[in-house]
Amino acid sequence: MSLSGLGSSAETGQRLKPYLLALACVVSSSLVALLIAPFSSLEDEVMVYLLGDVLAALRFDTKTSVLTAAGGILACDFLFIPPRMAFAWTDARKMLSLLAMLVVAVVVSGLSQRLRHQEKVARRSASATKALYELNVELSGGGDVRQLAAVTRRRLERLFGGQVLVLLGTPEGTLQGVPAELSQAELGLAEEAWGTGFGAQAELAGYAMWCPVLGISQPLAVIGLKLETRFAQKSAQGLLLSACARELGTAIERMRLAKAAHRARLDAETEWMRSSLLSAVSHDLKTPLAGIVASGTTLLEHEGKLDASASRRLVSGIVREGERLGKLLQNLLSLSRLESPAIALRKTPEAVEDIVASALARLDDLLAPRKLTVELPDDLPWVLVEPALVEQVLLNLLENALKYTPPSSSIEVSAEASAGVVKLRVADSGPGIAEHEREKVFEKFFRGTGAAMKDGGVGLGLAICRAVVRAHGGGIAVSERRGGGTLVEFTLPVMPASAVMSVEPSEVSA
Amino acid sequence: MMDSPVVLVVEDDRDMRSALGVALRGRGYDVVEASTGSQALAKFREAPPNLMILDLGLPDIDGIDVTLRVRHEHELPIIVLSARSEEEQQVRALDAGANDFVSKPFREGELMARVRAALRYAPRAREYGEIEVGDIRMDTVRRRAFVNDVEVELTPTEFKLLHVLISEAGRVVTHQQLLTEVWGASCKNEVQYLRVYMRQLRTKVEENATRPKRIMTVLGVGYRVVP
Repeated sequence: MSLSGLGSSAETGQRLKPYLLALACVVSSSLVALLIAPFSSLEDEVMVYLLGDVLAALRFDTKTSVLTAAGGILACDFLFIPPRMAFAWTDARKMLSLLAMLVVAVVVSGLSQRLRHQEKVARRSASATKALYELNVELSGGGDVRQLAAVTRRRLERLFGGQVLVLLGTPEGTLQGVPAELSQAELGLAEEAWGTGFGAQAELAGYAMWCPVLGISQPLAVIGLKLETRFAQKSAQGLLLSACARELGTAIERMRLAKAAHRARLDAETEWMRSSLLSAVSHDLKTPLAGIVASGTTLLEHEGKLDASASRRLVSGIVREGERLGKLLQNLLSLSRLESPAIALRKTPEAVEDIVASALARLDDLLAPRKLTVELPDDLPWVLVEPALVEQVLLNLLENALKYTPPSSSIEVSAEASAGVVKLRVADSGPGIAEHEREKVFEKFFRGTGAAMKDGGVGLGLAICRAVVRAHGGGIAVSERRGGGTLVEFTLPVMPASAVMSVEPSEVSA
Repeated sequence: MMDSPVVLVVEDDRDMRSALGVALRGRGYDVVEASTGSQALAKFREAPPNLMILDLGLPDIDGIDVTLRVRHEHELPIIVLSARSEEEQQVRALDAGANDFVSKPFREGELMARVRAALRYAPRAREYGEIEVGDIRMDTVRRRAFVNDVEVELTPTEFKLLHVLISEAGRVVTHQQLLTEVWGASCKNEVQYLRVYMRQLRTKVEENATRPKRIMTVLGVGYRVVP
């Protein structure tokens, strides 16, 4: 290991440590035994050494405790077994006591070693489990691949106390975002880990350990780890690193699968939309087209032979059918725009009364014979909307009211400010909508039982209304008007107060 | 005004072009047709028409570019045609110097009304003295305004606003144009400012401010005074 050069004196110290500790233990035991010697028998002094051996075995490793026991036997023999101050190996009974000392030291030491090891393993696995759990929690917070990689990097840096680099793979199978300061050798190792799917360790400074992040079918990224101390790939540390890499891999795959599922659902919906669109629209497109072609060819074939009223009837038929086709196409286009996931509304601050006035002006001819009530409070707040779309909502609702109610019945348009929104209502005193159809009327191509007989519609008007209102973050609902009839209410977002400009009532410019 | 004004129709769709030609000739206008932007510019070099109807979606030059180039040298009214969903294009064309716009599809009568209004109130220097449009009358010298011969009290800003709108009667005036003319170029993005004044002005010149009949809102674009 390149780092070994750093501390040879420290390593010598490590090697001598058991001997020094054993020496200290034997000296302490001997001192205590010498102190009590004038008042006790030989058995008691042996017990003192035994006590020292047991303490050493509990506290230090096996080597130290065996050394302590051996040293204790020598010291005891030398100091206390007659002849004193000399080694004597004659008394078998005494020798048995000394041997027992050694055995006790070894056994106690072995037991305590095992206990300590178990505790250490338990503590380490608990902290690894905690670290993995925390990483898992953070990763399940979601985000894109980059955010997931950043979360993992921060966690690993805290966990290992070193420098961490996460290199993400590209769909083409290369590594992206490789920092310029990464040396050729380090990059080689990163690519080795990336290519083989096994960890790669460097015998050089820099990113010492590269760990691949594996996905279901291909590697997703590699994690580089640079530590100040030695990194043991096969130890608990190495296992923890690869577990973290697995967590990241799982999180990335989970995110990809969620995205794929979302896309698949969208595709299915689009497919359904397309097929139901085709079946619903083909009839509505063909009918007016057939009428236009028939009327047009009749006019061509019988040019000059038709009387004025007949040709007029044919021509106005062409215009009517053409306008119907145009409207259908317009509806389909705006619906497809509103339903595209990337719709960007061109929102501007608007006055509700302007939008209402514009919608009413467009329908002036049709509304003229009706009894129309418009109730807009003077102090309505500004709304933040795309005005043409909101006008379309009002137009669709008013056209429905005109189409499905008797010519003598009245129509009401009103608005009211309420908690961050403006509520707009269009009400008629017609036959109303049956309760079980009040939610369905907003679905595409749904036509109410009352509407089925009338011609001209395809069941998109209210679907567009709902799409517009939802795109603005509001809601729309049908209920029964008090006194009979239909009431449609929808909400629009009020412009935030901070953005509202105050205008001095007194004039400054002239 | 000339007896039979010349209208240049710039439209790439042949059927639409011929329909417009028939309709305009039927109303007594002389019609010159062009199917591309460069053809239109060439017609201007031959003999400038009295009015141009310009489709914004041309195959060669962008309609807004054509508007800019024509407006650079000519004062004639320009009416642009565009698809309904292209409000942004319409506003850009108006700001580039077009005088009005009509969304496709349109009815013949709708377009002809705009053509008439555009020719009647051809662009000119802001009129001073007496101006009368519909039932609104303004005396710009004495700063007095009348609706149906009844005087209405207007503040100086409201008067200026109405003056600009009346001078462009029948045509759309964009928010930016109004703001620039009344408050100055530094205010040209303060649309809300304009709306507050427009609300006040309408309560004075309209019978029912919620259903205006004289000053119409063109949503997302600006205002138009009904001639």
